[in-house]
Amino acid sequence: MIAQIARRIDIRPLRRDASARDRQHRPQTRHGFYILLLLPAMLLLVGLLATPAVYIVWLSFQKSTLGQDPAFVGLANYAALVTDGAFWRAAWNTFAVVNVIVYGELAFGLAVAVLLRRVETGRKLIIAAIIAPYAITESSGIVMWRFMMEPDVGVASRLLDGLGLVLPWDSEPWAGLALACIIAIWHHMPFTFLILYAALLSVPKETQEAAAIDGATAWQRFWKVEVPIIMPAILVAILFRYIFAIRLFGEVWLLTRGGPARLTEVLAIYLYRETFQFRNFGLASASGVCMLLLSLLIALPYLYRMAKEVRRDA
Amino acid sequence: MHDDRPLTRLLRAAAVMAVLAWSLVPILLVVTSSFKEPRQIFEVPFRMFFIPTAENFTTLARLNPEFFSSLRNSIIVTLFTVLLTLCASFAAGYVYARTKETAYKVSAVFMLVVRMLPPIVVTVPLFPVVNWLALNDSHLILILLYAAFYVSLGSWMMRSFVAQIPIELEEAAALDGASLWQILRLVILPLAAQGLVALTLFVVVFAWNEYVFAMIFTTSNARTAPVVIGEMLSTAEGVQWGAVFAAATIQLVPVVLIVLALQRFLIAGLTAGAVKS
Repeated sequence: MIAQIARRIDIRPLRRDASARDRQHRPQTRHGFYILLLLPAMLLLVGLLATPAVYIVWLSFQKSTLGQDPAFVGLANYAALVTDGAFWRAAWNTFAVVNVIVYGELAFGLAVAVLLRRVETGRKLIIAAIIAPYAITESSGIVMWRFMMEPDVGVASRLLDGLGLVLPWDSEPWAGLALACIIAIWHHMPFTFLILYAALLSVPKETQEAAAIDGATAWQRFWKVEVPIIMPAILVAILFRYIFAIRLFGEVWLLTRGGPARLTEVLAIYLYRETFQFRNFGLASASGVCMLLLSLLIALPYLYRMAKEVRRDA
Repeated sequence: MHDDRPLTRLLRAAAVMAVLAWSLVPILLVVTSSFKEPRQIFEVPFRMFFIPTAENFTTLARLNPEFFSSLRNSIIVTLFTVLLTLCASFAAGYVYARTKETAYKVSAVFMLVVRMLPPIVVTVPLFPVVNWLALNDSHLILILLYAAFYVSLGSWMMRSFVAQIPIELEEAAALDGASLWQILRLVILPLAAQGLVALTLFVVVFAWNEYVFAMIFTTSNARTAPVVIGEMLSTAEGVQWGAVFAAATIQLVPVVLIVLALQRFLIAGLTAGAVKS
């Protein structure tokens, strides 16, 4: 706003100095220049992501095997998909795991954010330590957790055994997925934490003080005053974590390979094995379309809001 | 406001210690164990103090020489992904910050939509094409894919950083006879440096650690370090924990240090990219 006003005031008289010819040519050269600048980003996105995403939809209506021309088969691939037990198992596992991860992370991240706000000594160092897992690759993360949870000899598994909490992740499907959830939460909690912490810091002190004067307890102040204020940030954290958690692959793959007997597969692993191990491109592309639609559906509120914001931002 | 009863303070300190343990113990365990003798690694009771040895690192070099070439691949891929993503995002972000026409806005939203696509899904149709182009197992395909996945976040981050640069500076430069390229390079680029550092941090962490694409699109020549570490975990002969720890330590220490050194940019980037209020 201020910038626009300043421009109107200061620059107008100076602009008259520019030649009329220059002024006429400017908008066109500008647009040409802008399109040139957008080109690399657009080529990357369209060539490597958008086109394949559209192509997989087409592929899901084709019967396609290696070395043969594809033939249109209508919804046959989807019909095969909904009768495939492994797909439903993977879908159910994904649903359970994603919800545990997203809400587990939210509760944990929020608790840590609230805790840290009260800590004064060494806060920067503590935040650095909390963020550290964000910098670690899935496979190194699995190295750590498998080492700690190695049956009978790992530090953490011995500790859990001592407490009577046995987590037989290498034999029981539920335990394998539970460990994958723990590792995923360990890995991604920094993201949720940072968003919520930034939001909590921006809550004005006055609102809290006012509530305190009105006799609200700390607990009431948090749930009735602060949580509503940081709700937008909470929703952003939930939405982003949903979209990214659906992609879950490495944690489960490196832990259980989807086994035993395909019982711990999640959708990304189902898709991977149907494509690269069983060469069943029909099932693979149909399940890919399902993942695609699911992701876009979850992202819809965010995309809608951003589109509105961009439109308004004139 | 602060409740400073001793018990409350004690509980708070205990909670902080628990959070620190949760975040750091797995990392420290692997890093310190990489300097232990192999027979000390699973020792009971847990050995806190020991004489550091490089034995695991020499074992790693002997058993898994491919790890060191994979490290080189990771460096190459990360470096060029950063370059490509920075250039493409800076250019696009500048356009989005300075234009009001609908077509540009549509393309900005298009970027966000593409960002929501799950990576594994695009591998199905891409794989045969990549093979056909003989790009399989090349650094190039990883660089292009990584850049494609981060260019949308990058453009939006750069958009918000460039938007803070007063347009008057550009107009003054234009009056002085600077061309559009010169304005972009000499006026905007230096002022957007902070945004570029923030974006570099995100891209380094992503490209250095990415697992799925690297596993699918490389076999040997361009295999990156995270994939080799994953392979070392799934050998039929049983895991060589000492060598795995050495590999994980080499892989994670540089990037953890970078993230810790630049963490304030991480926060700036997150709030620019994700939470726009």
